Amino acid sequence: MHAVGALEAGICKYILISYGHSARSGGGMSQVLSRMAGDDAVFGHFGAAAGYALAARRAMHEYNTGPDTWKHIAVGQRKWANLNPRAVMYDRPMTESDYERSPWIVEPFRLADNCLVTDGGRAFILTTAERARDLPHPVVTIMGLGMHNPAADPVAARHLTGPTGARRAGEQAFHMAGITLEDVDACEIYDCFTYTVEITLQDYGFFGPGEGEEWFRGGTIEPGGRTPVNTSGGLLSEAYQMGLTPLTEGVMQLMGRCGDHQLGPATGNIKPEIILCSDNGGILQTHACCILRRN
Amino acid sequence: MTYSKPLPVPGADTKPFWDGCREHTIRIQRCKACGHLRRPPASVCPRCLARETEWVEMSGRGTVYSYVVYHVAYDPSFKEDLPYVVALVTLEEGPRILTNIVECDPAAVHCDMAVEAIWKDVTDTVSLPLFRPAS
Ligand SMILES: [Zn+2]
Repeated sequence: MHAVGALEAGICKYILISYGHSARSGGGMSQVLSRMAGDDAVFGHFGAAAGYALAARRAMHEYNTGPDTWKHIAVGQRKWANLNPRAVMYDRPMTESDYERSPWIVEPFRLADNCLVTDGGRAFILTTAERARDLPHPVVTIMGLGMHNPAADPVAARHLTGPTGARRAGEQAFHMAGITLEDVDACEIYDCFTYTVEITLQDYGFFGPGEGEEWFRGGTIEPGGRTPVNTSGGLLSEAYQMGLTPLTEGVMQLMGRCGDHQLGPATGNIKPEIILCSDNGGILQTHACCILRRN
Repeated sequence: MTYSKPLPVPGADTKPFWDGCREHTIRIQRCKACGHLRRPPASVCPRCLARETEWVEMSGRGTVYSYVVYHVAYDPSFKEDLPYVVALVTLEEGPRILTNIVECDPAAVHCDMAVEAIWKDVTDTVSLPLFRPAS
């Protein structure tokens, strides 16, 4: 959003947005997460998984979600990763019973509910539509942007079970884009944990609280499904590159650069025109929504 | 025996809370202007932005807002406690506090369960507020 402002103001012509981290081999991610703990460490409370798990547990209590919903997300995204040679989990299929046998990490989350920790990097270049049309590659444009940051510490937060920042960020982005949910061909959702996908899609309005299990059931988000989600495998099954995993996947799908997991006749989906992307930070404390279009 | 787990690092905002724990009371910051009880502690009231505060004693009774069961020790000093429960407890006065639920099978903990504070003196200067099922 800042980059768009810099382009609009004429301060920059081309902006490179990049991310790279030796998160796995360098141990960087565990250092970042342990520093977040503060006095919570006194009670043995560390990292991001348990913070999201607290939100997810309360959601189970309030509107009856849980592992039966989240397994569709973990298994569905893995099917996309199995089509993507770049994905960490490319050659490791996951069935529903594999999910159910996955060990508890911080209950109610199993290992299969957690994203990967990955070495690697991602980048994309942003410029004006006018300049982009003179370049040799297919153009992907931003139709809508929204951002909402409830920011509250999870101890004080009223939004752990929704609406999260996704509600207002989504409303802003759809308003700017001038479209509705029915116009979206695929979603690339920031998926640090399976629950994050559920609460984000729920707050965008795809289904109501407690309706997630029914919505996901039957392969909705999988190859050939009616609403493909996280078509690279996502943070859960491709690679953890912060918000750039979903955003760059959305761009590459619309450019037609995705090989075997390219949405189209080969996956049993329509060729996408519009893709909805999300990012969030903290324990559901910040949220950004970006709607992309081909051309 | 020396205590091997992490200890609180009281700062300007959090010292009165930990001082209260040492005396086995849960003290929460209250805005002198609007009366809002706030946690985490902060120098400014999130409701009305006033700076004047006082610390007031809570009853130590509350309910479980949410909880998780750790099956992995992120810090090796917690390995002996696995599986253990970390919870957000809503105090009966309103604010929430992060804590452990003890003296209870992790499988028996549930949201909205009534709990009460108990105290664990871990060093000569530090006591931790833990919660157990209300008697
Ligand atoms: Zn106030």
